[in-house]
Amino acid sequence: MNDAKPIPHWRLLVGVNRTQSWRRLKSAVAQSRLHAFLMGLFVVGYAWLAYALFHKALQFTSSFPGLGPVLIERMMFLLFAFLFLLLLLSNVIINFTNLFRNKETQFLLSLPVPRQVVYRWKIFESGILASWAFLFLIAPLVAAYGATYNAPWHFYLVTPLFVALFVVLPAILGSWAALGLARWVDRRAFQVAAVLAVIVLIVAASSWLQPETVTDEMLETRVLDVVDRLLARTRFSLFPFLPSYWVSSGITQWVEGALMGTFFFGLVLLSHTLFFGYLALTRTGGFFYGALSAVNSRGGGTAAGWKFWKRKPALDQAAFAPRPLDRLARLLWWGRGDTRALIVKDIRTFWRDATQWGQSLILFGLLIAYIVNLRHFSHRLTSDFWIDLTSYLNLGACALNLATLTTRFVFPQISLEGKRIWIIGMAPLGMRRTLMAKFLFSTAVSMGVTMALVGASCAMLSIPPGRILYFTLTVGVMAFTLNALAVGLGAVYPNFREDNPSKIVSGFGGTLCLVLSFLYIIGMLSLMAATSRWAFGGSSVAVFWLGWVVFLGGSFLLGWLPLRAGIRKMASVEI
Amino acid sequence: MIEIEHLTKHFGDLKAVDDVSLTVSKGEFFVILGPNAAGKTTTIKVMAGLMKPTSGSVRICGFDIGVSPIEARRRMAYVPDFPFLYDKLTPAEFFRFTGKLFGMEEAAMEAEAERLAKRFNLGEFLAKPIEGLSHGTKQRVAIVSALMHSPEVVVFDEPMVGLDPHHSRVLKDTLREQADAGVTVFVSTHQLSVAEEMADRIGIMHQGRLAAVGSHEELQAANRDSTLESIFLSLTNDDE
Repeated sequence: MNDAKPIPHWRLLVGVNRTQSWRRLKSAVAQSRLHAFLMGLFVVGYAWLAYALFHKALQFTSSFPGLGPVLIERMMFLLFAFLFLLLLLSNVIINFTNLFRNKETQFLLSLPVPRQVVYRWKIFESGILASWAFLFLIAPLVAAYGATYNAPWHFYLVTPLFVALFVVLPAILGSWAALGLARWVDRRAFQVAAVLAVIVLIVAASSWLQPETVTDEMLETRVLDVVDRLLARTRFSLFPFLPSYWVSSGITQWVEGALMGTFFFGLVLLSHTLFFGYLALTRTGGFFYGALSAVNSRGGGTAAGWKFWKRKPALDQAAFAPRPLDRLARLLWWGRGDTRALIVKDIRTFWRDATQWGQSLILFGLLIAYIVNLRHFSHRLTSDFWIDLTSYLNLGACALNLATLTTRFVFPQISLEGKRIWIIGMAPLGMRRTLMAKFLFSTAVSMGVTMALVGASCAMLSIPPGRILYFTLTVGVMAFTLNALAVGLGAVYPNFREDNPSKIVSGFGGTLCLVLSFLYIIGMLSLMAATSRWAFGGSSVAVFWLGWVVFLGGSFLLGWLPLRAGIRKMASVEI
Repeated sequence: MIEIEHLTKHFGDLKAVDDVSLTVSKGEFFVILGPNAAGKTTTIKVMAGLMKPTSGSVRICGFDIGVSPIEARRRMAYVPDFPFLYDKLTPAEFFRFTGKLFGMEEAAMEAEAERLAKRFNLGEFLAKPIEGLSHGTKQRVAIVSALMHSPEVVVFDEPMVGLDPHHSRVLKDTLREQADAGVTVFVSTHQLSVAEEMADRIGIMHQGRLAAVGSHEELQAANRDSTLESIFLSLTNDDE
């Protein structure tokens, strides 16, 4: 042992994890060159297609004299404001699992590695995990923005620098939020707090997003004033203390040639990143250890401050008595007892992992707030074109939300069985029925929820009953396909070594599932709109039914093929 | 040397460790026994600094694990019941990584890793990815990586699990030699034979408390029982 020589902990950790990641990538490529090629194709294809679409859309928007640049600039501010929010949420969740549920963390803490170094390493890892997909998704839009305004070449060098500084802030704030949650809030408290937060969010969003009164006279004479009023609800993105404001201001000013402005916002961003970075990298290790110890010491009990809703533990025989969920499942699930037990187990596991359902609550909360506000929107729609456009976009929004949920929660289901897969694998239930049970259950739940949401949103738009039926049936079929795709691909690309669902979804299978889901939705939505009987000029009866046949056939194939492949893979999986 | 003073650890309302005080001297082989949920692993995790005690303290070679964790861990080898290993690394790379984390010199690291790997028959596995190794082989990798920095205190939680009889023997001999060389050895196990054969002193934990501590002979004398099994059963019987 050499006490005098400083140990390069950080370099060792980076080195060992770099080797691990590189070998994982190599073994993934070696396992199937075709998959690796398809993955590469998706990456390039998405980047190209998204860039082309964004560029076209931005060029179209910028063609409105006076109005275009205002709209585009606001869009950039909104993009980074929501990116900040999403990165923050993503970092909270990933940091929580990475800091407190990760075996490497425990291993490192048992070695002579300072707590601060372990914390630093874990927030770095979480930051990358939480940010890369978002950055990949927005990169084509930012590039298209530069191209629309013929930005100089150095725009494409400065922008990544700004974004790199920007993502550090939500990574640090997210990790601090995760530390706070872990330290002071136990699972049950978090469950109650999350439900309350979502209710508050829905109520606040519903009351905040009130419609603006705009008269015909105003529309004809004071267009910019009207646009400004319509944009009033997006003004939060211009709040100067938001990091997203600094990054969007820096980027937009660089395009405009106001380099000093960019320099100023760059320095604001840099100073905050350095300040918070310094605190996180040098002063948070002790608090992290306290939070970790609190999590490890909780042991299913309730933290001292939250005892008022503590449930008394069942004792002896009472512990085996059917709980309300078992009774409910017996009422609702007429299938065999073993599949029912599997479903009940899945629900319990989901409910007891607060990070899992916390995210679905947020997604549904936002969707409900959106639908509730459609009733204000419908009063403004006088033209059939806008009603039709809104109703199809509404269908798209619900379907995209559903795709996010199926990729995030349904796809990792098989992987999350992890090392426990032998329990199901050895049971008479069999892997085929396991997969089908998971598929049918997730489809039933998501179908019910999304059909209700689409039905409600159509009603808010005052659409005739026949069309409401049309939209709800369409989203019902999509729910079938998206769930089959998620369950099937989840079984084709299982990751039994990983306990963290976020990491499972970040892999090849999860990315493929998300991309295929989105492509399917965009394709089918375009098809349904183009063959609609009433919208956008209207089609003949034959074209309408042909559209439905193609929709049903395509949906069935895209759902059934991965599901069948998943069943086959699971039948031959070596546990 | 390990010094545990009035150690108490609560999990919510549950008292997992209840006012445990114990000193394990330099060169002593101490085996802790106890039924499931007796508090052995919790005690060991507090000793390893993986959780804070509710009250009390643990000192490793004079360093309080809560106050000077780095100094304490630098002198300690800890292997948990389910050790973590980087699955894409080879054992040789893993030894190198842990050796460097302990600040070992290159030459010493290589020599120790080679010596211990030979002793635990890891030679043929040194260049193979850890993910492909059997449970027992992984356990041996974890043991070698823990011992190679020449610790002054060894804390192993259920180290025999997964090891075949041959490698259990190797581990027992290695730990005995370590104790004879002045290393403090603290092992938790469910195998009473290990305690009977190896331990200088045995501790029996029950419901978070140290129900008995002493050499095998002292325990026999105090409990008027001939075998460790009957002593263990009588001390940990909840029905009485």
